[in-house]
Amino acid sequence: MKEKLNGKDLINIGIFSAIYFVIVFITAMLGMVPILYPMLTVICPLVGGVVYMLFLTRVKKFGMIWIMSILMGILMLISGMSWYALAIGVFSGLIADLIFKSGNYGSSVKGVVSHAVFSLWIFGNYLLFYLNPDSYMKTREEMVGKEYVDKLNSLLPMWSWVILLAATLIFGLIGGMIGKAMLKKHLSKAGIA
Amino acid sequence: MAQLLSTDLTNRGLVLDPRSKLTLMLSIVFFTMGGVGSDIKAVILISKLLGLIPIILLLTAKQWKKTLAYGGAYAVLMLLSLELLPVLDGGIKIILSICCIGVLRFMPGLIMGAYILSSTTVSEFIAAFHRMHIPNQITIPLSVMFRFFPTVTEEMEAINSAMEMRDIRFFGKNAGKLIEYRLIPLLVCSVNIGQELSAAALTRGLCAEKNVQIYAT
Repeated sequence: MKEKLNGKDLINIGIFSAIYFVIVFITAMLGMVPILYPMLTVICPLVGGVVYMLFLTRVKKFGMIWIMSILMGILMLISGMSWYALAIGVFSGLIADLIFKSGNYGSSVKGVVSHAVFSLWIFGNYLLFYLNPDSYMKTREEMVGKEYVDKLNSLLPMWSWVILLAATLIFGLIGGMIGKAMLKKHLSKAGIA
Repeated sequence: MAQLLSTDLTNRGLVLDPRSKLTLMLSIVFFTMGGVGSDIKAVILISKLLGLIPIILLLTAKQWKKTLAYGGAYAVLMLLSLELLPVLDGGIKIILSICCIGVLRFMPGLIMGAYILSSTTVSEFIAAFHRMHIPNQITIPLSVMFRFFPTVTEEMEAINSAMEMRDIRFFGKNAGKLIEYRLIPLLVCSVNIGQELSAAALTRGLCAEKNVQIYAT
């Protein structure tokens, strides 16, 4: 039952993490526009869903989703977003992995749910904003100017983390479903999924 | 973009340990980009000096054009931010300050990242991580990832230009297919390349069970 990850699995994790990260990173560039910044919790899970669902067709052992989640956190740390993504990613990845495991690594419904949980690392990037607003605003003000910060402040009151969290989960589900549909439409025929 | 990221071994000049590169990267990210401790004067000064390190590293790698472009932009904007920014106000100030911040804060991190990717081989990378006692479960995916970034961006550029020819772009005729028609081909070709890559890596014993001796070349 309990198998160790072999080299091929680890390489697969690396490949899919690279694709996932490049796609999400390019999408996240939209966040330079203040109005779109909170919208990233909507857009990123939608776009990432396809890659994640394709990744799941390669997942047959415990640990693969978890490692990918930790890798996302490490990349966020190195690229200077925040360490909260890593802190969240360690737990959300584990939960996502357990969810997919409970479906015996084949259930597509559980796969969609696990994508929603996995997407929480995106929400983790916003935590700095809520937990330590003063220092966040100060560095942001130096970084991108006062206008951006004022816009952001008016857009995101303190209680809005509930909305962002819910948006991440809901659009994680939708993204997972879109991903599943895309796999069916394009990739199964090509023999890749 | 792809050229920026792929490894060029012929003239990389000063060969640094990947661990020192990583340390430099993290300090640039935290102090220059993240602005940690920006209320202490000495830290601000050091963070500005840290921004110069990528220039020096590029210089040792004999990348003259990049050094000149990056160094020039850095010097000009540093001068502007010190001399001109306090005097100005209004719209020009906002535009200029965004330019200054973009170059002075973000560019050091970006250039450093590109330098690390272009000057470190996968075997060096794995050896360094091995020495840091990071488990294989993290090292191997991470090294595959770094090896794979250039490939993905290269493929993406090719797909982009192909789709532009079919008018699948912003404000084009078929803008609705914008994401789907880029993502799916990218996935298909990356997965195929990935399969070849993993076969090659397994053949070279990347994932041997026993303790392996690593020669960084």
